[in-house]
Amino acid sequence: MSEEEDCDCLVVIVDVNPVWWGQRSKSSHQITLTECMENVLVFVNSHLMMKHTNQVAIIASHTHESRFLYPRRNSESTDATDEIRSADGKYELFALVDNTVMEEFKKLMTESHTGSVHTDTLLSGSLAMALCYINKLDKQSKVGVTRRSRILVIKASDDSASQYMNFMNVIFTAQKQNVLIDACVLGNDSGLLQQACDISHGIYLKIPQIKGLVQYLLWVFLPAASMRDTLVLPPAIQVDYRAACFCHRTLVDVGYVCSVCLSIFCQFSPICSTCHTAFKFMGPPSMKSKKKKSSLPAS
Amino acid sequence: MDEEQDKAYTWEGDYERTWEAIKEDEQGSLQSTVDDIIHRAKRRRFLDRPVNVRLGMMRHLFIILDMSKSMEEKDLKPTRLHSTIKLIESFIEEYYDQNPISQLGIITTSNMRAEKLTDLGGNPRRHINTLKKCKDKVCLKEPSLQNSLELALTSLRHMPGHASREVLIIMGSLTTCDPDNIHQTIDTMKSNNIRCSVIGLAAEVRICKKLCNVTNGTYGVILDETHYKELLMEHTLPPPATVNSESSLIKMGFPKHQIHTDKPAICVCHLDSKTSEGFGLGGYFCPQCHSKYCELPIECKCCGLTLVSAPHLARSFHHLFPLDEFTEISTTSLDESYSSYCEACQGRLSGQVVYLCPRCDKVFCLECEMFIQEALHSCPGCASTRPKQVRTS
Repeated sequence: MSEEEDCDCLVVIVDVNPVWWGQRSKSSHQITLTECMENVLVFVNSHLMMKHTNQVAIIASHTHESRFLYPRRNSESTDATDEIRSADGKYELFALVDNTVMEEFKKLMTESHTGSVHTDTLLSGSLAMALCYINKLDKQSKVGVTRRSRILVIKASDDSASQYMNFMNVIFTAQKQNVLIDACVLGNDSGLLQQACDISHGIYLKIPQIKGLVQYLLWVFLPAASMRDTLVLPPAIQVDYRAACFCHRTLVDVGYVCSVCLSIFCQFSPICSTCHTAFKFMGPPSMKSKKKKSSLPAS
Repeated sequence: MDEEQDKAYTWEGDYERTWEAIKEDEQGSLQSTVDDIIHRAKRRRFLDRPVNVRLGMMRHLFIILDMSKSMEEKDLKPTRLHSTIKLIESFIEEYYDQNPISQLGIITTSNMRAEKLTDLGGNPRRHINTLKKCKDKVCLKEPSLQNSLELALTSLRHMPGHASREVLIIMGSLTTCDPDNIHQTIDTMKSNNIRCSVIGLAAEVRICKKLCNVTNGTYGVILDETHYKELLMEHTLPPPATVNSESSLIKMGFPKHQIHTDKPAICVCHLDSKTSEGFGLGGYFCPQCHSKYCELPIECKCCGLTLVSAPHLARSFHHLFPLDEFTEISTTSLDESYSSYCEACQGRLSGQVVYLCPRCDKVFCLECEMFIQEALHSCPGCASTRPKQVRTS
């Protein structure tokens, strides 16, 4: 009786924002981007080692594009594993992953980019690409193979409010497709990723000591989703789901919502600033005038 | 007083040679043709949606379920009633997923009377549990269209003007037994701005057609169970708002989840329950009256404030900011400058047609295009590129 093979797919999205990484000072408490990539490769190799059928993909999230570092685009046509002859007895798949990632990463970072410099990472685009990739693998898989997919985001720079819409779309799609989104945050706390992890039932962790990145990756994020009940993992944080008003960007407890475009305001205004609909003023309920008895004309 | 029939009936048209639409590919498999047909059907429906139309985002929908003798027919397995209840359960979940701040109620009609099964509310569990009990009920005699419409009217009449008022009737019988003039009821529905739609399980009935035409609803008659599911799921999308619906600012509360370490309390939603469900330390507290609730969205029973969280509103954003349609290009006429790999899934573009996003100019394969338009609602290409800035000297 053949055992059903289940396949665990992991997509790692690494934030390679050159502005953030470039601003790290060379002190004993910080790591460089290269060291971070090496830690990620150790983690990825461990994931591949857990089970023969595990799959992995790595996406680099830059300020002006998102690119797949592994698998490489033309890897379907040529069977690249045959070409790697490992010199030191390393498992060929590990060597393939390491070499491909390092080559593509070097290409990405050394490309000169003309145009304006942005400081925020295009994380929502990387998440959308990851979901499309997972969807493609799901459609291609054979009948009877149960697939569990998850996305691990290693985030460095801060959130960008302009990506809110795309981010929320991605989060709801991930929840529907049963894809977990885990977050490993190196910099400041990210509200968007906290919401993503809460809604999709993933783990959110802000690393206290960045030097120990590989330890946190292997301890918290390596076990598969089915094992997470048996482990003691960082507790879920209470996410603040209050909305921010559109006029002042402050979090509101009680707000006024436009019924046409669903934008939120903190005080009543006669015109919605987003969709320019005029609202009627909600005054106190008017008293209906009592019917006066019409006096009969004197005949 | 005859309505103009724009479309002729199918039997009045020309003879359609349906077998010519099916072609085998090189390996003799029909899978690609089947996918193609399904995809074209989906795109056609997608194209029919009018753009730049104001949508009714806050919906109050009543489902009127026919429980007359005709629902015991076995043309849908196992009986029409069982099949309908199963489909309505999945409809309810999808409805609350697409319209999180909307409300739903269920009315059943049997034995020439109408009865309210569940009142308008925002909790899907309650509706689904009550609906499950309905499976064992006996189906009697005839339905009454007028009684059920009047019953829906009594609740919908008091709803605020900014919400869209809708009624969805699932009609398995070809007759209806009414106490009074149904045309007056139809006019009352129109004057109260209630949009009535009907899904017929048997055949087209003239009075249903008139009801839908007058109130601007849709009328569909099912062909088989798959078509039934399609027609039902179309109603999860928000309908275009009518001219008479008022737009107003609705006051809503956004409570934060709080955990009190010292005072466990029972929540207001489970105040009447016999079990100890809802008793605990954490919950959402209404910003106006501080009553405790265990889940959102809900309407506060004490002060009447609607309590929601920001993601609930965000779920409806993709209706308001829909994605542009991708242009279809055949692979042969594609320019050399475009990559031969799908931008999203990195797979090789092997099919006949590829899809191009008009904004970011990236190509996608068929699978990704369907996924993006139906599930993701965000183009990965647009999200991964910065808009090009024109340099002015």
